[in-house]
Amino acid sequence: MSEPIIKAVNLTKRYGDFTAVDGISFEVRKGEIFGFLGPNGAGKTTTVRMLSGLTTITEGEAYVNGYDVKKEKVKVKRSIGVVQDVSNLYEELTVEENLRFLARLYEAPMENVSKLIKDFNLPAKKKFGKLSSGYKRRASIVAALIHDPPVIFMDEPTIALDVRSAKMVREMVRALNVSGRTVFLTTHNMVEAETLPHRIAIINHGRIVAIGGRNEVRKLVGNEVRVRLKVEPLKSSIIHALEGYSPAFDEDSLVLKVEDVDAFMDELEDLKRKLGFRVLHISTELPSIEEVFLELTEEENGEKGCACGGCPL
Amino acid sequence: MMKVYAIIVKELKEYMLKPGAISWGIVFPLVFSLAFIARFGDIDHLVPGLVSISALFGTTSFVSSSIIFERRLRTFERLLLAPVSYGEIILAKILVGTIFGLMVSTITLLLVLHFMTYPLWSVSLTALNLVLSNLTFAAMGVYISLAISNPINVMTWLNLVRLPMMFTSGAIASLTLFPHWFLPIGLVTPMTYSVDGLRYGILYYYDVVPPLASALAMVFMTLLFTLLSIRALRRLY
Ligand SMILES: Nc1ncnc2c1ncn2[C@@H]1O[C@H](COP(=O)(O)OP(=O)(O)O)[C@@H](O)[C@H]1O
Ligand SMILES: [Mg+2]
Repeated sequence: MSEPIIKAVNLTKRYGDFTAVDGISFEVRKGEIFGFLGPNGAGKTTTVRMLSGLTTITEGEAYVNGYDVKKEKVKVKRSIGVVQDVSNLYEELTVEENLRFLARLYEAPMENVSKLIKDFNLPAKKKFGKLSSGYKRRASIVAALIHDPPVIFMDEPTIALDVRSAKMVREMVRALNVSGRTVFLTTHNMVEAETLPHRIAIINHGRIVAIGGRNEVRKLVGNEVRVRLKVEPLKSSIIHALEGYSPAFDEDSLVLKVEDVDAFMDELEDLKRKLGFRVLHISTELPSIEEVFLELTEEENGEKGCACGGCPL
Repeated sequence: MMKVYAIIVKELKEYMLKPGAISWGIVFPLVFSLAFIARFGDIDHLVPGLVSISALFGTTSFVSSSIIFERRLRTFERLLLAPVSYGEIILAKILVGTIFGLMVSTITLLLVLHFMTYPLWSVSLTALNLVLSNLTFAAMGVYISLAISNPINVMTWLNLVRLPMMFTSGAIASLTLFPHWFLPIGLVTPMTYSVDGLRYGILYYYDVVPPLASALAMVFMTLLFTLLSIRALRRLY
């Protein structure tokens, strides 16, 4: 196993009495995409801000690229590119002016600017403020590469993007990783978590509740998938026959919880013949991050119900 | 220093034409000066005050609108993420405010010069005091913009400081015309030193502070506000 490129030991952030990040420890391996998952307010952004030196560490330690985040700030800054959860380049400057400005701050060669503009097909002469949100995000990601850092932090890079832009961003994440960079990716999008990271950590209320490879973590919450089914005609006898899969209605579809998809398909074929209906649509879905959390915290507390105990959700 | 220069150029491109810099930074001081010219024919004694007011509003409006924008849109964090020291960031913000304030106050000076009875006394001393005034006010503006925890409140605080200063500094009515007990208030007003310094350069007399003392006071205040700004920035993140 290669040495960790990011290491957090008992990392803690308190704002007054409130503990936003509560003694988390983890390691990110060189060259991997590390997914940092959690619902809103879990402490993802705070963790990124601590690791990138944007906010002080209340307690614990962090090392990035072998440097102590608390003591070797400048070396850490030169090792990391940070894509924040907002697209924050300068609105009145063109894309090229923005990149040139950052190249000067990082003392990076100016060739990087034209190369990045070409590689990522950016509209160089357009003012950043005039770009669509997808291109703003793309430019913000490119801006993090200006000094060619080995580690990239990305804080919910697809949030508030349309489907096409989100896909483009995911492709960029993969491309950056293929080119050898380590990516620390925070998200609360389970689909993203299913496709991008090599390993993930799940954080809730400032604590890590699961960590490991994708499948390892998925096993922690069981192998269930959601099957979405649309049939015609919809009879009560069908619902009755599917009782074992806790059927629920969502618009005009039935949503079922299924563990063994193959066995379920066989059973569905039988039912079709017996009860006489047609399947108009069938698809499977992975549990949403909220459901994963519910499962995890249920196991922890040994009870069903709201995962965050007493929260208004 | 290259980084400071890069930040200055970026600031001018980004914020020169923003409403905050234009309205309070350019339009207000010029209209204010024109109003005085129209009201009183003989304005010689008002010139230092009008120029100082232009410097005050030019610098503080520019730096505060840029810092408020950057704090709210979080472009400020771009600077903090880069390998740039707090000192370099503060220095760049103060210098760009000074450049903008110098532009506004020089325009004001050239404008009001036309309406003066006597010629300007010393170009070099006037220029020196103009630079020191703008440095002092820019540093003060940066400090206020960073010391207030919620950027939405910065403008309110700024006006709470700079509007009364127009009266407690002798910019509009000489401090010698006020009762004696008012003098200490005048002396703790940073702007007093700018007005009296400019008065000496332009008119060859001063009201309360001798020229060397006002110059030293402005150098001291610039350094003080610079250090306070660095500390405020460190507290903020
Ligand atoms: N500057 C701050 N002051 C006080 N509380 C904060 C501050 N920043 C974040 N928090 C709180 O810390 C918790 C974690 O926030 P954050 O890290 O932004 O979560 P996430 O990015 O996972 O949505 C939230 O409850 C948030 O309200
Ligand atoms: Mg966040």
